[in-house]
Amino acid sequence: MKSALDVAGLPPRAAIIGWALRTPLGSDISALHQSLLRGERAAAPSPIFDTSSYPGSLVAAIVTPPKPSRHRRFLRRLGLLAIESVEDALAHARSRAAFPIIKSERIGLFFGYGGLRAHWDDLMLAMQNQQADADGNPINPSIPLPATWEYGLRHLHPFWMLLHLSNNAHALCAEQLQIQGEGVTYGGGNAGAQALSGAIQALAAGAVDLAVVAAHDTLVEPEVLVELGSKGVLSTANLQTLRAPYDRAAAGFVPGEATAALVLQRPADAATMPLAYLQVTDGADGQSGAPHAHTLARVAARLGDLSDIQIVDGAARAQCELDSAERSLIAELVSNRAQLTASQSALGQLGAATPLVQCITLATQLQQQVLAGVAGLEQPAPGAMTVLQSPTATAAKAALLLSMGSPGLCGAVRLDLP
Amino acid sequence: MITGVGVVCALGLSSADFFAALQRGASNIGPIKHLDASSLPVQVAGEVPLLSIDANTLLQRDFAFSTSQQDLLWHAQDRGVFRDRKIGCLLLAAQEAWQMARCGAAEQAASLSIALGLEEAFLEDFAAAMQPDSDGGRIDFLSPRPPAEAGAQVYPQPYGGIRFRSTVDLGARVLAQLFALRGVHAAQASACAGGGLAIAHAAAQIEHGAAEIVMCGGADSMVNALGLAGMARLGAPSPRHTSDACRPFDRRRDGLVIGEGAAVFIVESADRASARGARPLAHIAGWGRSQDGYHATAPRPDGSAAARAMQQALRKAAVSPAQLGYINAHGTGTPLNDVAESEAIRAALGRAGELVPVSSIKGAVGHLMAAAGALELAACLLPFERAILPGTAHHQQRDPACAINVIAETPQAAKVDTVLSNSFGFGGQNVSILLRRADA
Repeated sequence: MKSALDVAGLPPRAAIIGWALRTPLGSDISALHQSLLRGERAAAPSPIFDTSSYPGSLVAAIVTPPKPSRHRRFLRRLGLLAIESVEDALAHARSRAAFPIIKSERIGLFFGYGGLRAHWDDLMLAMQNQQADADGNPINPSIPLPATWEYGLRHLHPFWMLLHLSNNAHALCAEQLQIQGEGVTYGGGNAGAQALSGAIQALAAGAVDLAVVAAHDTLVEPEVLVELGSKGVLSTANLQTLRAPYDRAAAGFVPGEATAALVLQRPADAATMPLAYLQVTDGADGQSGAPHAHTLARVAARLGDLSDIQIVDGAARAQCELDSAERSLIAELVSNRAQLTASQSALGQLGAATPLVQCITLATQLQQQVLAGVAGLEQPAPGAMTVLQSPTATAAKAALLLSMGSPGLCGAVRLDLP
Repeated sequence: MITGVGVVCALGLSSADFFAALQRGASNIGPIKHLDASSLPVQVAGEVPLLSIDANTLLQRDFAFSTSQQDLLWHAQDRGVFRDRKIGCLLLAAQEAWQMARCGAAEQAASLSIALGLEEAFLEDFAAAMQPDSDGGRIDFLSPRPPAEAGAQVYPQPYGGIRFRSTVDLGARVLAQLFALRGVHAAQASACAGGGLAIAHAAAQIEHGAAEIVMCGGADSMVNALGLAGMARLGAPSPRHTSDACRPFDRRRDGLVIGEGAAVFIVESADRASARGARPLAHIAGWGRSQDGYHATAPRPDGSAAARAMQQALRKAAVSPAQLGYINAHGTGTPLNDVAESEAIRAALGRAGELVPVSSIKGAVGHLMAAAGALELAACLLPFERAILPGTAHHQQRDPACAINVIAETPQAAKVDTVLSNSFGFGGQNVSILLRRADA
């Protein structure tokens, strides 16, 4: 019996004709590029809520609030920013020459949403613990369920359910932009890679003529910090002691957040010079935390022959053993002169948004022929591939972009300049 | 090819129970039993007929739950009982599908495409809703809240003892671990269209050669205090607390009924199924996907986008409207949906749209939300398995605004070769899947 890998063949390719993002280091791509070259890091004490009592106090947060929007009643911050990214990406595509006129029913919208959700029972427990007596002292009575409606559930806003729909940003984006082609919302830590795969397959199958892919995720939320802290994967350092991924003393990552959007076409249809071409694969191995490095390598290998790849944007989990395994296994797939950088060393771990953000940052670096170093890297750990510590000139035209997420999820993108 | 199916819903804990109940024209909407909902505006549901879903007694396969999985999935005080009913339903359905398809070690290369739950929740919202404001009035937490935006301290301490255990892809994760599946995961989060989209995604993966075999489907349960209350505040459920609360396409319809459960399929290439001697139940011959691009909750009134999804499915399967034997409608029983879907069917099929038999099973099992499309595709196997078209429970008075051929409460004997299943999600995500009889 052949494996799925044997029969899969190479994943189809798509052309990127527009893009936009919102990151902890800003939303202007040129400015972001310069920040990355300067080795800036977004890690800071949270500007959104007090993290001083959490296992990790540093986060990489987007500090610019969303623009005023009629969707504010229905969407959280990252959902609003995701719609902004889609609008900007389409505007970017339109600003380039010969943007095609395509009927709305031939435009697809594919969203990746990486939310971690609280359990209903946890909420009930939390609700009970929220009560206080007349003096403000916490009490924990067992509220019989018949009382819960009168006590509070009747106060739920009529739109509460909509606010918590997993596809609400997608739905409102489609409504706002009148997109009527295929539409799928993917969920989970590698939902961005899944959304890219779904979009590229829809293009390849001729189901749509233009695909807009968006991803939004935040790890900068109280429940996520608690969860990641309990797994021991967060950096517990302060700004002075924070160590970068692939550092000899790496000890956990900084949680980040981002939204990004790409506008894709079939390569043969790209009406203007594409910004880049991409192929995507994703996979999982059932681990409760990060996947095994060999899973990442297996997923990357599905992209075909990578021996010409000289640039790798790593998954950058900042765990010495995992970083080392990633380097050694990926090095077997790529050029023996491959150099390793890490966008997420500057931006924090970006969850489901990672592959889309990487596409934009690395394509910009390849276009500008200069690679950013790993931000904050002091003592590169020994291992395969050369870890970049500072900006480095490059003539490379292709890169391999890697991402990992919990539980046991990973994605790989091959990015080629035209 | 579909080679295995597993079902857990209000009509039973197996596909055989489900088919038998549909064949009888049974309905199982009733008072909620597994929790006290007496103070809630919603008191009836399509509840899975189990007060608790217990892994120790229900899961015959030795899943070998690890300690961390037990902590994740089970009640702390009641080991073996699933904290989240939809996960228990999902595992039960997956177990049946896996066994029916006679899957073994070779099938562990399977990919996954799972829709799980459309709801999510955040503690601060819930806590705010539970605390009357200083004036004792309603709390509108959707207004901008300075603490969350301006950096004031919202969470002075991590929540002691509280763990957050539901991720949007938890179902895919649990299935992958317990069945030791090695393929690619796709977690669908497309609201009420999620189940249908998960299956369409699986079929597309096989067609494109990205997978040989996929476990796919959906699971959901909103039969819990917050789910019931949230839907009630939205105004979607029927206000009546009766067993006929959901009456799809009936002139008197006044809202949906919340259901729960799961349906899981094993889908594989025809060559693979044939090579290993698996019995094909049906062929997924076509599918279509579209978006309304119209409104957050209301369907596009003319049904044009939904019609396009149906037409795509027909075109892909090379089936003419006149050849279509049956449509399993999304049919929520809400005033707007059923009219829009009727318009969509007529727009998609032309004259045939007034003739082809249509029914909705939501009057019998409720709206399974993210799992609805999966369960309803399972209902579409009934015509092939037993030459019966499911009826529409509690449909008694025809609505002139729904000018389609609705099968009323009594199931209809018919031998058909092709059936179509519609799923339309909140936010206007549409998917239609066309099944062809395996031996046609």
